[in-house]
Amino acid sequence: MSIKRRRFVQSLLLTPAAPVALAAVQATPAAAPQQPQPVPQPNTPARQLSRQPQSVPRLPVIHPDVAAKTDQHFFSTEQFAALQKLGNVLMPPIKGNPGALDTGAPEFLDFLVSVSPADRQKLYQNGLDRLNALAKKQFHAPFAELNATQLDSILRPLLVVRYWPEDFPSDPLKNFLAQAHQDFRTATTNSREWAEATAKSGHRFTRGFNGQGMYWAPIDPISEG
Amino acid sequence: MPIKEYDVLIVGSGHSGGMAAKILTEQGISCLMLNAGPEADYEKDRSLKAAHELPYRGFNKPGRLPHVFQANEFNANQWVDEKEVPYTTPEDAPYNWVRVRLLGGRSLFWARQSFRLSDLEFKAADIDGSGENWPISLSDMAPFYSRVEEIFRVSGRKEGLPQFPDGNFIETNYPPDSESLKRFTELANKRSIPVSKNRSALGKDGLASSINLLLPDALATGKLDIVQNAIVREISVDKDTGLANGAHFIDRHSRREMHVKARVVVLAAGTLESTRLLLNSKICNSSGVMGHYLVDQMYGVSVVASVPEAQDGKTKSGLMGGSSFIPRFRNLTKDDKRNFIKGYCMTISSGGSASPNFFPSYGEELQTKLDRYANSCVSGGIFGERVALYSNHVRIDKNVVDKWGIPVLHIEARDTQNEVNLRKDAADTIEEIFHEAGWEVICKTDQVNPPGYSIHEVGTCRMGDDPKKSVLNKWCQSHDMKNLFVVDGASFVTCGWQNPTMTILSLSMRASEYLAEQMKQRNV
Repeated sequence: MSIKRRRFVQSLLLTPAAPVALAAVQATPAAAPQQPQPVPQPNTPARQLSRQPQSVPRLPVIHPDVAAKTDQHFFSTEQFAALQKLGNVLMPPIKGNPGALDTGAPEFLDFLVSVSPADRQKLYQNGLDRLNALAKKQFHAPFAELNATQLDSILRPLLVVRYWPEDFPSDPLKNFLAQAHQDFRTATTNSREWAEATAKSGHRFTRGFNGQGMYWAPIDPISEG
Repeated sequence: MPIKEYDVLIVGSGHSGGMAAKILTEQGISCLMLNAGPEADYEKDRSLKAAHELPYRGFNKPGRLPHVFQANEFNANQWVDEKEVPYTTPEDAPYNWVRVRLLGGRSLFWARQSFRLSDLEFKAADIDGSGENWPISLSDMAPFYSRVEEIFRVSGRKEGLPQFPDGNFIETNYPPDSESLKRFTELANKRSIPVSKNRSALGKDGLASSINLLLPDALATGKLDIVQNAIVREISVDKDTGLANGAHFIDRHSRREMHVKARVVVLAAGTLESTRLLLNSKICNSSGVMGHYLVDQMYGVSVVASVPEAQDGKTKSGLMGGSSFIPRFRNLTKDDKRNFIKGYCMTISSGGSASPNFFPSYGEELQTKLDRYANSCVSGGIFGERVALYSNHVRIDKNVVDKWGIPVLHIEARDTQNEVNLRKDAADTIEEIFHEAGWEVICKTDQVNPPGYSIHEVGTCRMGDDPKKSVLNKWCQSHDMKNLFVVDGASFVTCGWQNPTMTILSLSMRASEYLAEQMKQRNV
């Protein structure tokens, strides 16, 4: 086969209609009886099979939290400042484990609440607004600027005993505090930073799924495309 | 190519459908099984991940599965999506309908507690005057229980208690009780409360499901075909005979509408899906009872105490650990007069830790408490029987359809004062024993999760001898349509305090053998 012809054949191999065209080129004997040509079938499995790669490497990738910080966009500046303060007081760094602020929990909750149903968004926004209002009324300063004693005088009366994690009080502010407390604990202890600190300390995870669990991916999901 | 013809159409692939397929095919009867969801690939679909690797850091996707308290971000994809297949309830009566549509259904994920019902449940009306007796008794069921227990390899300890019937168990050598459990047992026995051990299906290779214990046998006969992603819309009826002759279904992916023919239809879609299908098909309800007497068990009552000698990390070897099981001990006779009927079992676990939500505390103060109580706790919980009531029911909500255009269920179930009194008795009893043991009770609740939470919903097509008061006869066969059987939990008359799986399996085995015999005799 000449170089010219080889290039021609190669170019055909790169085009969608290649098999049919190639068959025509290879049918050199002019005297060969005319056979009905198969109608081109778009994307039949047999057609795709010949083009499947034989070996595909899996490349190492990293989680975005390793390289980037979550943008904070949902809560107002004053609400987010109160949320950060709340996270730090409810879940401070203890015994070598990172606290809420070290694990980016406030930013994560800003994201999580932003994609939550409206009632949860309202619970958080109203709760943070009320904490700020209480702080201003009692101490003439926003919640984020209170000292530990002042914070405790606001928070302690709002704490409740709950038997099950899914039980929340009916009072909206107590409900908010219970949910925020639980959310901060989960966001903190499920973080990459917590996992790394626990691994370094040699201690077992104290909650959750021992840091990891068997994850079920979507099973035969319906394609909406 | 001609369409393949089948003797029996089985809708659903969980424990009950799997058992029906096994029994029928082993008798030479050809079966087609339709399952609403796909087959899970345990190799491809599961992987070990850290919580922080998941999109929502271990929180579930917000707003997803609000009624599945068991759901988390790891397992969220195994449950039925409530947005795809919703249901409605009154605003003041939440119901947790927890479903799996994967091939094998909920048999893939059950807790494997394996109990027989006793005649306290089968003949409950004779004891407490409530509702109706089952048309069968333990003696009718015992041979089937035995065979099911053998297939599922149930481990247990024989006790000789009539309310906790012994079975065909793999005898288990339980390790000696820890001192804390011995203390509990001693105090419970003083109150004439017997203490036993859990009974559990060992299954095979860590799984006790229809996909590994039942369906392989059926497939091996060459008499079973399974179609996945087949969402059954309606049972079809022959206009001339008035009998079921197949089903209309929808392909989950393409939404292609299809019809399959069969001589007999066996429903095993799970209690409420089978009833939903019958209600949507508008058949087999001459009694007017269909959808009623929905019942399940109460979960949530619990008491946690801390053993002082084990606090602050000072526990000694042999003090903590292990678990015990206390079968029903209330209202065993007509003479046991209390302010409630029915009863409950208890589970006692030793060696756990306190949950952060037990304490009105935060920060370092909270951590100090958690450290103090770590591994020092004994917890007691119950599975309590609810009364099967006509008012607790499901019906079709004509205003709401699922993703495939099929009308959904409206579920209405409320507890009564009987349930309130029962759970108060349970919480008080556990607390009294814990106090008597000298333990520090750190949390107690007599509140329960919404109905349905136990994932043991039964009833709504109850069985009975009287066609005016029941949907099915004692063979799980429709009174109205002799070639239609419902072999899942829908046939239950009462729910008992026991995990219903062994009973569902035994009922399905019994009904399927009856059906096979009737087909041989050309009665069906």
